[in-house]
Amino acid sequence: MSQTVTATRVLSYLEDGKTLRSWLLTTDHKRIAILYALSITVFFFIGGTAAALIRYNLVTPQGALPSAETYNRLFTMHGVIMVWFFLVPAAPVTIGNFIIPLMIGARDLAFPKINLMSWYLFMAGGACALYALFAGGVDTGWTFYAPLSSNYAQGHVVAVVAGIFISGFSTIATGLNFVVTIHRLRAPGLTWYRLPVFIWSFYATSVIFLLATPVLAITLILLSFERIFHVGVFDPRIGGDPLLFQHMFWFYSHPAVYIMVLPGMGIVSQIIPCFSRKELFGYKFVVWCSVAIAVIGFFVWGHHMFVSGQSPYASIVFSLLSYFVAVPSAIKVFNWLGTMHKGRIHFNAPMIYALGFVGLFTSGGLTGLFLAALAADVHLHDTYFVIAHFHFIMVGGMVSAYFAALHFWWPKITGRMYPETIARGAALLMFLGFNFTFLPQYILGYLGMPRRYHSYPPEFQVLNVLSSAGASILAVAYVLPLFYLGWSLFRGERAPRNPWRATGLEWTTDSPPITRNFLVVPTVTSGPYDYADPHTKLADV
Amino acid sequence: MSENVAPHTHFQYEDARHQADSAIAGMWLFLATEVLFFGGLILAWIFCRHWNPEGFAAGAKESVLWIGTVNLALLITSSFVYGLGQAAIEAGRVRMLIWCCLLTAGIGVVFLGLKLLEWHVDLDENLWPAGPFKLHGAEADGGRLFWIFYFVATGLHAVHMLVGIVAVCWIALRARRAEFTADWHTPVTVVGLYWSFVDMVWIVLYPLIYVVGRLS
Amino acid sequence: MRHLLWMWLALVALGACAFGGAFLPLPAGLRPLLMLPSLVMVAILALGFMEVRRGGALPGAFALAAIFWLFVLLGLGSADPLTRRVYPADQGGASVPGPPEISPQR
Repeated sequence: MSQTVTATRVLSYLEDGKTLRSWLLTTDHKRIAILYALSITVFFFIGGTAAALIRYNLVTPQGALPSAETYNRLFTMHGVIMVWFFLVPAAPVTIGNFIIPLMIGARDLAFPKINLMSWYLFMAGGACALYALFAGGVDTGWTFYAPLSSNYAQGHVVAVVAGIFISGFSTIATGLNFVVTIHRLRAPGLTWYRLPVFIWSFYATSVIFLLATPVLAITLILLSFERIFHVGVFDPRIGGDPLLFQHMFWFYSHPAVYIMVLPGMGIVSQIIPCFSRKELFGYKFVVWCSVAIAVIGFFVWGHHMFVSGQSPYASIVFSLLSYFVAVPSAIKVFNWLGTMHKGRIHFNAPMIYALGFVGLFTSGGLTGLFLAALAADVHLHDTYFVIAHFHFIMVGGMVSAYFAALHFWWPKITGRMYPETIARGAALLMFLGFNFTFLPQYILGYLGMPRRYHSYPPEFQVLNVLSSAGASILAVAYVLPLFYLGWSLFRGERAPRNPWRATGLEWTTDSPPITRNFLVVPTVTSGPYDYADPHTKLADV
Repeated sequence: MSENVAPHTHFQYEDARHQADSAIAGMWLFLATEVLFFGGLILAWIFCRHWNPEGFAAGAKESVLWIGTVNLALLITSSFVYGLGQAAIEAGRVRMLIWCCLLTAGIGVVFLGLKLLEWHVDLDENLWPAGPFKLHGAEADGGRLFWIFYFVATGLHAVHMLVGIVAVCWIALRARRAEFTADWHTPVTVVGLYWSFVDMVWIVLYPLIYVVGRLS
Repeated sequence: MRHLLWMWLALVALGACAFGGAFLPLPAGLRPLLMLPSLVMVAILALGFMEVRRGGALPGAFALAAIFWLFVLLGLGSADPLTRRVYPADQGGASVPGPPEISPQR
């Protein structure tokens, strides 16, 4: 509970201050979410352009780009931007920042000024990394393995690493804010087991932010030391261990992939019940599976190092633990399916994206099981099978979920409805383009095509051309929303408070909400998925 | 719900106590991230020592024990002094708080001064890990690894100390502006947590640097 | 204030123990035990000066989480070096026999 808001402050957050200063110095979580959304959209398209150039190169076996060096720098740029400046922040800082306080009945996050500072840190880190990447970049891959990155690579390693380091502070600040907010600012009556799964998922994500990112920070510092002074703890020439780098790097980077996907799971856990008009199946299972994923996800990082020279005994332990971590994800998939079973399903755009998430995430997740098997991984490591695996989860899964969230909460955020038919078309086009792009890559990997190679044997060309063709379809699907969502800002139908008749406190506020979110802070008395009758039709929109 | 709220309470909180507890929880959470940050460094120590036991210990023997130990005593005392300051403001004694803050910051400055002296001595002894190195032969490599760890660890710790000194001075400044009372002094507590943590880090680094490798 | 003084004295005493450990000839495998006085000092700081149990359940929960995750990092991270078999690098000439020749058959 917080203090009441007097009736005079009833401007929507979009109208409450129209100067640039009121945006750049805002402490309103909703405005900060918008600032972030604009930034990460820019990063998404920069990273996407790098991907387009990669797929262009791979259309011919000898490589269409002038040099292998350029190709190496491109895939590094693609990875660095997409991981640290799009996927890791995206859902938490845009959807999370906007929705979390609304969903728990709070007027803002616990530390609004730290929230604003996190955006500036993100921009500073991004500027640093972008400058370095455009000034020639690095060719080490986003994984920066020593001793290549510390001793032999040409390029701006320290500058890129500095950008990533700075952005890490941004994510730590965000995670800190979310955890304290969820603990301390819930509305009266909102007990832990009445929280939507979305909140549990973002809480779990924040735990990973907080505990994994610092290890990345120290890793990057040690790497920079070695690069600058030409001597370091990863250098085998003085008895250092290159695998130490990999252990420290993956201790962060494996949980980081759960940072990337857990928000998506939370998002679809809101969307599927709403568009099935049915409560989430097995709420407590989904909740504790989210926590389990975050925790067990810290125990499996060695599965990236099966062929690195790591002890086989350690590898066996990591392989076993990797099989354990798959279980909670699988349980959640069954829960989503159980939610839809005997529900009344409406195929609005958010639902299409959410269903795409479920299918593509499952496919990617299953292929993770092959990779977790030691013997299979010897063959599959560093092939396109791995690339397909993580793109199915990250792009097929998480990007779909991000688009699902954008569409689902668009009426709340902007006060406008997007055009449903085009949106459905874009969602289906994305699903089609995605499969076209990445299904061939499973086969390529199985056949042995290595990743990070600018050229390949001619017998792989057909599959590569298919993949590149799919990428062009995917690109269209990504660009379409820019147009119709942008259009909706000016010409879209005005949104009511709750266009989807969804449950959740955010839907009790105006669309868009007033600056302080609630005139009177609500008191919660029921569970988070109180969809009474599965045969209640959604209002026609 | 009352419209009269304490001047420092922000609108999303019920009352001052709610906000204070949230700020303290937030600082503890931040300190948890710092545990993992220095934890990574400790993992590096474990690896380097494991693969090069003799050289690593040989490098450790060159560390200047008396400076490290004096610094340990200084930091322990500084936490005590700041704690006195906290107790003082809980009793409403602002002047005592200011003196304790200044003394704490002063101890911090002495710590950093001794650290600079120590680094100077180390560099004079050719213990900088890059370039001509004091140890030769079989022990040189492990020795270099130790001194890489040493400079990174003490350098990062010093940066944290500097931030802490600035924070403590900021508290003293705010206290002088009569911002703290017996009822409300959350920033004092929050900065105290950070300062004690920086102390903790030195307490853990001390044996890693000065003790474990000294005799073999 | 009295309890602060006692804690300070305890810390100084433990600090002296830590310092003393520098002169204790323990075998290399046991030397990490010399960390023990420091770990007790950390506990005194957390419980005494930082009063981790004050301010509700949250600070304690965060502190315990940090310690648990530190153990995972250090413990599971050490599993590799502790169990890795090192094959000495060949200094020239095959002193260690390589894998058996596999005759190519297609």
